[in-house]
Amino acid sequence: MNAPLQAVRGTSTRFESAAGTPSLRSDLRDMFADLVDYRELLFSMARRDFLLRYKQAVMGVAWAVLMPVTYTLIFSLVFMRVVKIQTGMPYPLFVYAGLLSWNLFANSVRFSVNALVANSGLITKVYFPREVLPFSVVMVSLLDFAVGAVLLVGLMIYYRVGLHATALLLPVILLIQLAFTAAIALLVSMGNLFYRDVKYLIEIVLTLWMFATSVMYPVERFGGKFAAVLQLNPMTPIIEAYRSVLIRGEWPAPAPLVTAAAVSLALLLGCWLAFHRAESQFAERI
Amino acid sequence: MSGAEIALEGVWKKFRRGEKFDSLRDLVPAMARGVFRGRRRPDLEREEFWALQDLSFRVGPGEALGIIGPNGAGKTTVLRVLTRLLRPTRGRCRVSGRIGALIDVSGGFHPDLTGRENVFLRGAIVGMSRRDIVRDFDSIVEFAGLETFIDTPVKRYSSGMSARLGFSIAAHLRPEVLLIDEVLAVGDAAFQRKAYDRIRDMVRGGVPTIVISHQLERVAALCTHGILLSAGRVVHRGPPSDCIAVYMQSDSLGASRHPDSTVQLDSVRLETPEPVRSGDRIALRVSGHVPASQSVDRRVVGVRVRDLGRGELIFATGTHTHRVPLPEGEFALEVELQMNVAPGVYSVETYTFHREHDRDVLDGPSTTVRVEPGSAFWGSVQLNARMELGSNGAGPPPEST
Repeated sequence: MNAPLQAVRGTSTRFESAAGTPSLRSDLRDMFADLVDYRELLFSMARRDFLLRYKQAVMGVAWAVLMPVTYTLIFSLVFMRVVKIQTGMPYPLFVYAGLLSWNLFANSVRFSVNALVANSGLITKVYFPREVLPFSVVMVSLLDFAVGAVLLVGLMIYYRVGLHATALLLPVILLIQLAFTAAIALLVSMGNLFYRDVKYLIEIVLTLWMFATSVMYPVERFGGKFAAVLQLNPMTPIIEAYRSVLIRGEWPAPAPLVTAAAVSLALLLGCWLAFHRAESQFAERI
Repeated sequence: MSGAEIALEGVWKKFRRGEKFDSLRDLVPAMARGVFRGRRRPDLEREEFWALQDLSFRVGPGEALGIIGPNGAGKTTVLRVLTRLLRPTRGRCRVSGRIGALIDVSGGFHPDLTGRENVFLRGAIVGMSRRDIVRDFDSIVEFAGLETFIDTPVKRYSSGMSARLGFSIAAHLRPEVLLIDEVLAVGDAAFQRKAYDRIRDMVRGGVPTIVISHQLERVAALCTHGILLSAGRVVHRGPPSDCIAVYMQSDSLGASRHPDSTVQLDSVRLETPEPVRSGDRIALRVSGHVPASQSVDRRVVGVRVRDLGRGELIFATGTHTHRVPLPEGEFALEVELQMNVAPGVYSVETYTFHREHDRDVLDGPSTTVRVEPGSAFWGSVQLNARMELGSNGAGPPPEST
């Protein structure tokens, strides 16, 4: 080449692929190395997904707020006028905070279902760690979450809810939620690549899941055996923790949150490992 | 760049014809079958076939390997294993050095994003850092010749425009190993020349390279080694021109086994020692036999010459135009040709046909001739021009009054 060679950073420049399953250790090392090498791609991909989500949409990012606002109005109408329920805080605050964090999870899952399949042109032509695709979807949802959070601050000011020291726990709760969300995003994107049924299944699952989570009413109101099943859902302690530290100004109950954190981390590791191991088949099976 | 290397060691790759279960409805019975039969047999199951069988090679600095073969031979599979898209069923694949893959360069752009946005995205995908892309951005756009359209969404590009942009990005990756698949025919003639020069510079610069192309002339010109693949197996290994020769020969041999063949063509041999220079006369010997009790006066043995670079037939002649009668039994036909052609690789093919049924053409064996530069001229045919100054042409042209 005419131009002088200059070092180009990033991307692992050597690889070996052989038949057989590599050891757990080498897989974990690869996963970590890929994440470091391709971090710039992750941001580029998230930028692309963000541009695309609101391209040719006049309202642009306002859609990120409009959806939860509509639901807040409807649920407020139902649960303040028709069936009154006790939430320990102004109901619109309760439901908006719930919807905001629920949407971060649900939108990530909803859009990551297609993250791999919609990019089959890339997957069959270029190698890059495929994790980048579902992860970038989660990042875009996080951006929507940030935009929606501005309105939550507005609501808090309106209802004269002050900021408490407990809000310092927010980043930890967000990290737990992101770990859980990323795990499910990896799982469904991979699932949909192999079996396109997942795309249809996930809509039903998300709807049921929302009713089983403390989004518009506290699920403690369910009693009996059903309550025990609901305890397994990490989304409820996560959403409750947000409300607790931000609006009530109380430290969240430690046991459910720690359990949710442990479940989320274990799930993330498991799903990521499964994803990484299945990756080499993506180009063939998509 | 030292230490850059591409290596395959005993690589096998299995594929499945048709679809594997793509919905849960098919998965359940498949799993049930798996339980009853025991899982994962290493051998072929129904609907499976080997796309690559025991393929090994090593390409180091300063080497360029050309892989040729008919469609479905496994050429693209090799590149997909090397670009980490496929994992070998057996064997090992090793690449050390940053991979520059010039493969299907026009694909993979996002139609809704502008050229500029796509350059940054593609750059990141193929492993350039943002800083590198910013530095090379103007050069990429200029090489692609898309200065005025770079902020237009790619969905409004012509196919040539996206191909040029894709090639240009890939060419700016500063690769340490280079994989090229059929991108020698990207864009218009001017761009093809530019792209080819770029590739040639990289290969000559010592970057280990693998070239896959049906443009055999390009393979012959770029590569130091050759492999002829057919149905996933190595048929021939050696200098690129040898592989091309075997390829062309096997190609025609397959066609010559015709049940109705009356005249059998057995071999064609180049009698002239190589190198053959442009303008040289070459002698060929075509041997075969004519079965008895055939009315041979209507049968013709012909010779035709094909430019392998362009795949074009450039010359054909036969025994009927030279009034050579074919005898019964064995024959050896002496043919002389003057190679008034541009330097390149040519195949000399034999064929036979019946003068009254023109379509009944049967191909015989062929051989390749590599023509080296000889008497200087520009173009594809030597027309043996003569030039001299006339006795009264020395002065200026007469002015009209």
